[in-house]
Amino acid sequence: MEKIILCIKGVPKPGTVKVDPSTHTLKRDSLELILNPPDRQAVEMAVRLKENYGFKITVVTMGPPNVIPFLKEVYGIGADEMVLLSDRAFAGADTLATSYVLAEAIKKLSPYSLVVMGLKSIDGETSQVPAETAALLGLPSITNVKTIVKEGNNWILIRQTEYGEEELELEPPVVASVLPEVFDYLRPPSLKRLLEVKEKDPLVFTAQDLRLSPEKLGLNGSPTQVVEVFEKKFEAKGQVVEGEPSFLVEKLISVLEQKGIIHP
Amino acid sequence: MIEKKNLEELEKGSLLAFGEIFNGKIHPSAIEVLTPLKELGLKLDKKVVLICLMDNFKSFQDLEVLKKSVADEVWMVCHQELVHFKDDLYAEVLIEIVKTTSPYGLFFPATSLGCALAPRIAGKLNLGLCAHVNYLEVEDGKIVMVRPTYGENIIAKLILKTTPVMATLSIGAFSPSFGEKEPKFFEVAMPEGFNWASKIKVRKFKPSVKQPNRLSTAKVVVAGGRGLKSKENFEKLFELAHMLKAEVGATRPVCYEGWVEEDRMIGVSGVTVRPKVYIGFGISGALQHTVGMENSEFIVAVNTDKEAPLVKMAHLALIGDASQVLDLLIKKLKK
Ligand SMILES: Cc1cc2nc3c(=O)[nH]c(=O)nc-3n(C[C@H](O)[C@H](O)[C@H](O)COP(=O)(O)OP(=O)(O)OC[C@H]3O[C@@H](n4cnc5c(N)ncnc54)[C@H](O)[C@@H]3O)c2cc1C
Ligand SMILES: Cc1cc2nc3c(=O)[nH]c(=O)nc-3n(C[C@H](O)[C@H](O)[C@H](O)COP(=O)(O)OP(=O)(O)OC[C@H]3O[C@@H](n4cnc5c(N)ncnc54)[C@H](O)[C@@H]3O)c2cc1C
Repeated sequence: MEKIILCIKGVPKPGTVKVDPSTHTLKRDSLELILNPPDRQAVEMAVRLKENYGFKITVVTMGPPNVIPFLKEVYGIGADEMVLLSDRAFAGADTLATSYVLAEAIKKLSPYSLVVMGLKSIDGETSQVPAETAALLGLPSITNVKTIVKEGNNWILIRQTEYGEEELELEPPVVASVLPEVFDYLRPPSLKRLLEVKEKDPLVFTAQDLRLSPEKLGLNGSPTQVVEVFEKKFEAKGQVVEGEPSFLVEKLISVLEQKGIIHP
Repeated sequence: MIEKKNLEELEKGSLLAFGEIFNGKIHPSAIEVLTPLKELGLKLDKKVVLICLMDNFKSFQDLEVLKKSVADEVWMVCHQELVHFKDDLYAEVLIEIVKTTSPYGLFFPATSLGCALAPRIAGKLNLGLCAHVNYLEVEDGKIVMVRPTYGENIIAKLILKTTPVMATLSIGAFSPSFGEKEPKFFEVAMPEGFNWASKIKVRKFKPSVKQPNRLSTAKVVVAGGRGLKSKENFEKLFELAHMLKAEVGATRPVCYEGWVEEDRMIGVSGVTVRPKVYIGFGISGALQHTVGMENSEFIVAVNTDKEAPLVKMAHLALIGDASQVLDLLIKKLKK
């Protein structure tokens, strides 16, 4: 049976992030995590393809063991195999170091005909991982995908850009990142599958299992270095006006006149 | 006629920027991105080069725009296979140029195409890549980049250990600027054996029915948030925008509510604006929104809450009901 590889990420619940001041990375272990919301769209895309064409889905994530519940959740929705990429050496990875681990794991999971990812994470929000992983695998990458169908042996993908919609044809395998908001309905996990997965553990690959080069891993293997992170605070710098709406509007109109936006 | 140059004859060690072309027209972001690069170029004594990929020079309509740009040189690669954007082929062309000209920097506007292309090149060449940068500076001879990250209200300063320094630059974060001296134009001859094949076949293209909005370059932006209470109230912003020759912007929740199209979203997940005047109606001013508008010259906030962050950062804060103020403003302007 042909296989789809589905990549998901656990992300900090918005508002719960802590910064480690010495390494300048997010403290990922101590956080409350959620499944990256855009990845739910990728999951739905994969499960629909499974329904339509009978694929097998392998869901993959790189992260500490506290992301296992998300693998199980996706199993509950329809994945068939769970893979956790976990190693202390992976911590602090930039997108290149993340993509390196993902690409090597995906190679180990060959053969496959499609890799599906979310468009972007809500923490790093770089949207770089899908195309970087594809480049490392030597595969074509298509971002912003809203539709995927099969025609004969080939994939037909519809990609949405600001200019319009492109219909693309590619031979498998392909890496696709799914546009958020494609599906209005995201199916919940099935109770039966959630019970089934209770007893199951994901496959775990460490750096050694994947024979990864240590110098390409984690914080030290990342060419992108965060030198400083700071919180942003705003101070009052302007005029605060209270009063009746008509008074407020007068004030606003006089400013618009001053700025030459409207002419008295 | 434009002078042809082989890859080996091109200037080495420059700052390269990708000039996105679609249907013979240059994306306005290409001109915006050149502004900070020119500043870096002057500080670091590097030339600034805009690279444009197109099917043929005759179909290119924006030569006059590029002539006025601050680029020192414009390199054009023309080949019929470049007629459609193909991630793999476009990346290979740029990789070839990078390999022979060893640039000091390689920058992309953070458009959907720029964001598809830059990571392919970074992955293939094992380079670091900064995403959605909205400020660049030179510290100790090194390029330092600043970008918002969003788990919390956190701004990150980044450097890269690899050369060329690579980044995608937020759209609208930089103002366009114009040079006194016309750039030199060269058509780049790719090497004899270059493989123009792509694994991507474009079967069809359906252009957007809508004209892309001009939010990122608008001189006046009138934006609305949840404090406007309803879609009906929100839609009045379009009437106001019409009167002020403004563009309408929005916060994320109201886009998700369906009050307005998502391409009007301002902030980390949307566009960056830097108008002369920004007016926010019923917007709290979460960092995810304000990173997209904080460089506006004059900020007006209309909010019932004196403590709202946007009220604190505004040059003029009007404490009151947003839809009432909006209604009344439209009424007064009609007169
Ligand atoms: C403050 C700060 C700033 C940063 N800035 C940058 C930067 O500018 N450039 C840079 O290279 N890195 C940067 N990083 C690091 C980056 O956030 C991490 O490398 C992150 O693990 C992957 O990038 P992303 O979250 O942006 O993923 P995206 O590329 O936005 O994610 C897209 C999709 O890729 C898949 N994916 C992503 N991560 C994983 C994973 N771990 N396992 C499985 N699938 C995954 C998911 O399907 C996801 O939807 C920064 C980190 C911090 C803390
Ligand atoms: C990963 C991530 C990315 C995000 N990206 C973006 C982004 O790109 N852009 C974006 O905008 N948001 C983004 N957000 C959401 C952002 O955090 C805020 O939730 C959002 O900006 C708030 O929108 P708002 O101001 O409309 O709503 P609220 O925060 O609910 O604020 C409504 C405001 O209206 C005021 N108000 C209420 N009643 C009235 C009245 N009658 N008259 C006047 N004022 C009134 C209230 O006092 C309040 O200040 C993102 C969030 C996350 C987690």
